[in-house]
Amino acid sequence: MWWGTHRRGVRAASGKVVERAPAPASSSRAGLDWLNFFIANVQTGFGPFISVYLTTQQWTQVDIGLVLTVSGAFALLGQIPAGVLVDAMASKRLAAAIAAVAIAGSALALAAWPIFPMVLLAELLHGAASCLMTPAIAAISLGLVSRTEIGERLGRNARFASIGNGLAAALMGACGRLVSTRAVFVLAAAFAIPALAALRHIKPAEIDPVRARGGTPEVHPRTLAARLHGITDNKPLLIFGGCLVLFHLANGAMLPLMASVVTMRSREWATVLIAACIVAPQLLVAVLSPWIGRQAEKWGRWPLLVVGFAALAIRGAFFIFVASPYLLVAVQLLDGVSAAVIGVMLPLVVSDITRGTGRFNAALGVVGTAGAIGATLSTTLAGYLSDDFGSPLAFACLAGIAAAGALMVAGLMPETRPTRD
Amino acid sequence: MNRANGAIQLWVVHAACCVRRGFRAGAMICATTAALLAAIGIAQAQSQAPQSEPPKTDTAQPGPSQTTVPPGTPPSATVFDKSYVQGVLGKDVRSATGEDMGRIVDVVVDSAGEPRAAVIDFGGFLGVGSRKVAVDWNALHFSPSDKPSEVTLSLSRDQVKAAPEYGDKKPVVVLGPTGTVHPMMPQDEPAKPE
Repeated sequence: MWWGTHRRGVRAASGKVVERAPAPASSSRAGLDWLNFFIANVQTGFGPFISVYLTTQQWTQVDIGLVLTVSGAFALLGQIPAGVLVDAMASKRLAAAIAAVAIAGSALALAAWPIFPMVLLAELLHGAASCLMTPAIAAISLGLVSRTEIGERLGRNARFASIGNGLAAALMGACGRLVSTRAVFVLAAAFAIPALAALRHIKPAEIDPVRARGGTPEVHPRTLAARLHGITDNKPLLIFGGCLVLFHLANGAMLPLMASVVTMRSREWATVLIAACIVAPQLLVAVLSPWIGRQAEKWGRWPLLVVGFAALAIRGAFFIFVASPYLLVAVQLLDGVSAAVIGVMLPLVVSDITRGTGRFNAALGVVGTAGAIGATLSTTLAGYLSDDFGSPLAFACLAGIAAAGALMVAGLMPETRPTRD
Repeated sequence: MNRANGAIQLWVVHAACCVRRGFRAGAMICATTAALLAAIGIAQAQSQAPQSEPPKTDTAQPGPSQTTVPPGTPPSATVFDKSYVQGVLGKDVRSATGEDMGRIVDVVVDSAGEPRAAVIDFGGFLGVGSRKVAVDWNALHFSPSDKPSEVTLSLSRDQVKAAPEYGDKKPVVVLGPTGTVHPMMPQDEPAKPE
C-alpha cells in the first residue's frame, strides 16, 4: 500500500517538473517528503519496543537497562560531532544514505543476533546513524528551498514524519502481536529500501551546499573548538537550548506515565487506548505542521513557541485531575499541538539564529543534545516522583516544569524571524 | 529506609529492576545495597548450612560452597528432559480465559531459594505504559508438553491491572489467586491497590 502510493506520488510529481533555477523540482520535494515518511517508519521500531523484544529473547532487566543506558548516552553525546560532520560533508544526500543503511543494518542485526555484544553494537550504530540522519534531513531541506519557504518545508517534513510514525506504530503493533516481536525489526529494516529510493529522487544539484549549512562560503575551520565558535557564545541559541531542556524534561515522561496510569485504570481497552494516545497526536501533528510553518513566517516564531510550551503545561495540569481513560486520550491531543510546534520550530529557529555562520547542523546538534538531556532526566524524575508520591504529584511537577519553560520562552526568547529583505 | 533495615525475607535474583532506575537517589541506593548485601549474606549462610549436612553424594554443586569441595572433584550432572523443565524468563503469560497477561521478566525467591513470585511486565503498547507486577508463584501454571512458550496465570487482567508496581526499593507486594494483596513484609502497612 505505502509502496504503491509512494511510486504513484513520485511519478505524478515528476511528470510536471518545474525547471526554474531557484525553485527545486517537485521531484525533489516529493523525494524529501517520502524520505521523512520512510525514515520515521524505520525509527518507530526502535525506542521502548526494544526492551519488549529483548525480554522475549530471555534478557534480564539488568542487561536491558545497561544496553539502553549506554546507547542512550552515546546517542546524546553524538549529536554535536554528527552536526559538525554534516556541516563539513559536501553531500548531504550521502550523509542521509549512510545513516539510512546503518539504521537498517542495526535493525537487522537486532533481529538476527539478540546476544549482548551484537545488541550493544547495533544500538550504538543506530544511535550514531540517528545523530547523522536528523541534521542531514534538516540540511537537505534548508539547501533545497529558499529562505521564505523554509517554514512550510519544515512543516511538511514534520507532517510526513508523523504520518510515518503513526502508521508504523499501528503496523508494528499488529506485527508484534500477530507474527513475532522479531519480525518488527525485519519490517523496520525493510522500510529503509523505499527511504533510499526517495532519497534518490532528491536532485543533488538542487541542494545549495552553502544554504544547507546555514552559511557563507567561508573556509572550514580545522579544529572542533573553532567549529563550535559562534555557537557557545550565541546567546539566543543558548536560551533556546535551555527552553528545550525544560520542554523535554516535562514532556519525556508524560506519555509513558500517563500510559501506565491507563494500564492501571482501564480494563481490556488499555492497549487500544495507549495505541490511540500514541497515534492520535501524530495525526494532529500531520494536520497542523505545514500550517504552523506558514504561520511562523506571518506571526513570527515567538508566539507559536509560547503556545507549544503552554499546551504542554496544560496537558500536564489536566493529567493531575482527569481520571477517565477516555478523557485522558482527548487531553493527549494537546501533545500533538506541542509536538507540531517543537518539530517545526526547532530546525527553523536554529536556522534563523545560525544564519550566516555556516554552523547550522552543529547548532542543531547543540540544541538536540540539550533536549536529549532533558528527556533522559525526565524519565528518572517522573519515575521517582510517581513511585514515592503518586502519579498526580508527578504530573503536577512535570506541568510546573513546562510552565517554567513557557515563561522562559515568553520572557527571554527573542523573536528570531529574519526581517524581510 | 526503616523498612529495608528490618528482617528482609526476600532477595531478588538478578538484583532486578532497570539500571535506569538506579540513577535516582545515590544515598538510598547505598543504603539499599548494604541492606541487600546483608540479606544475601544471611541467605547464603542459611543455604550453605544445610548443604553440608545431608551426605547425599560426594559431588557438590558449583557455586558459593566451592571452598569446601576438594579440587579435582567432578560436578554432579542431572539430566532433565526438555518436556519436564523449562526456563521462564521472557515467557508469555496468559490468563485462564486467554487474555494477554504480559511476560515473565524476573523471579522473586525467599531466603531458602524457593520461588515466591514472578514479576510480569504487564500491559502497554509497543513497550509504552507497561507495568511490572509481582504475582504469586503458585498462581502460575506451566504446561511444558502442550504449549512450551506459554504460562497460564490464574488471575485476570482486571485483578492484575491495579496491583502496585514492583520496584527495587519497595516491599514486594505479591498478587495472589484470590485477588487480595498480601504484603510479604509484615511490619509494613499493606499497600492498597487503587
